[in-house]
Amino acid sequence: MSVVDLMSMAKPNLEARGKVLTKLHGREMVNCFQCMKCTSGCTALKLLELKPHEIIKLVNLGFVDELPTSNIIWTCVTCLKCVERCPQKASPYHVIMALRNLAVEKEAKMPEHYLKAVSHILETGLTDTPEKIVTRKLQTVDRDSLKLPKIKPPMESFQSALMKAMEEK
Amino acid sequence: MGVDVVDLRESVCCGAPIKSVNDFAANYLGARVIALAGLTGLENLLVPCNRCHFTISESRNIMKSDPRISGKIKDLLREEGLQYSEIKIWHTIDFLHDCIGIEQIKKAVTKPLTGIKVATHVGCQIIRYSDLERVDNAENPRKLDELICALGAEIVDYEEKLDCCGYSLILSHPDSALSLTGSKLKAVQKLPVDSLVVSCPGCQTMFDSKQKDAETTVGAKFSTPVIYYTQLLGLALNIDGNRLGLNMNQSPVDQLSAKIASNQNISRHPSGT
Repeated sequence: MSVVDLMSMAKPNLEARGKVLTKLHGREMVNCFQCMKCTSGCTALKLLELKPHEIIKLVNLGFVDELPTSNIIWTCVTCLKCVERCPQKASPYHVIMALRNLAVEKEAKMPEHYLKAVSHILETGLTDTPEKIVTRKLQTVDRDSLKLPKIKPPMESFQSALMKAMEEK
Repeated sequence: MGVDVVDLRESVCCGAPIKSVNDFAANYLGARVIALAGLTGLENLLVPCNRCHFTISESRNIMKSDPRISGKIKDLLREEGLQYSEIKIWHTIDFLHDCIGIEQIKKAVTKPLTGIKVATHVGCQIIRYSDLERVDNAENPRKLDELICALGAEIVDYEEKLDCCGYSLILSHPDSALSLTGSKLKAVQKLPVDSLVVSCPGCQTMFDSKQKDAETTVGAKFSTPVIYYTQLLGLALNIDGNRLGLNMNQSPVDQLSAKIASNQNISRHPSGT
């Protein structure tokens, strides 16, 4: 479903737009004049139809509520070309990350691996479990065979601090 | 080269994978890495991964610029008895290029990589965005190239040099991610190069470990050796391939090692005998 399908006669929600602005921590957004330098260099444009200038325009107009529940915000590859090239120092990347954070707050549908990463970090401190790998010469290698140090489980104080951090909006 | 490296054993995730979930929590994790590094009393933190370097740099930036957030993060760090303090943050590339220096590296080379041609992929998150104090120039990064020339090898420039490897999408949109990887590999394959050199484990995962998967996605055959810069550096310092982890690269690096060895033999015996 493209962004345009979500939009029919939507009403602007300036409060939600304010929430996004807060999450930008002083970065510009309102002064975007749609030059489209961001979209013309966007890595996700061809394959996934992401148009960063469109996202900024929609948020500026207050059409925020539809975006956290759409698939389009999850297509950004975080290459940061848009941030680099914007002449107005606006940043579609940061707006998209703010919308992703809003999607999590709203418990919207999202790619599941992000939340799996959070629970894995809470449990082990790392994003994933170290794996055994098979080399191109068909040998099996893992942390023990490489004599790498054992990974200790994280302290409770870390776990409770991270959980508190996750509550922050 | 006279550098002592201390492993930050207690360090956990920098927060990069959870920026999309809760940026504050990611900033807290990045600040925590900086705080742990502060415990060692050392002045320099070396971060060998582009994504980690970006995330930790954004954490440091927000700790400097936003007193409200910085205060909250310091409170959380205090719960573990940690204190936040400034530290110099390096990536492998600027550490070797700016801190150690090209001249030192040239002097350390014992087996120059004569006749070897390489394409570079420095990645995205260490060159962008410029306002954040990055490792190299955003539109014309040259440090990795110069580091490779210091080893006696040659660089081949190409149009697609700044294209993204697609790693961020590998779990949520694998076909698109591998499409990006495959397109870049197609471009590199056309060049007269012996290897693609990267400076990020994420990029290495795509171009090296997932080279075969990328073949399937874009319908091509690839045989490009892909190695992390310090592996190439190690070869020029005559360090054994297994110590450099070359046995674990999934791309065909043996053809690169073989060429390096035979070129060195030829240059030692110019008459060919």
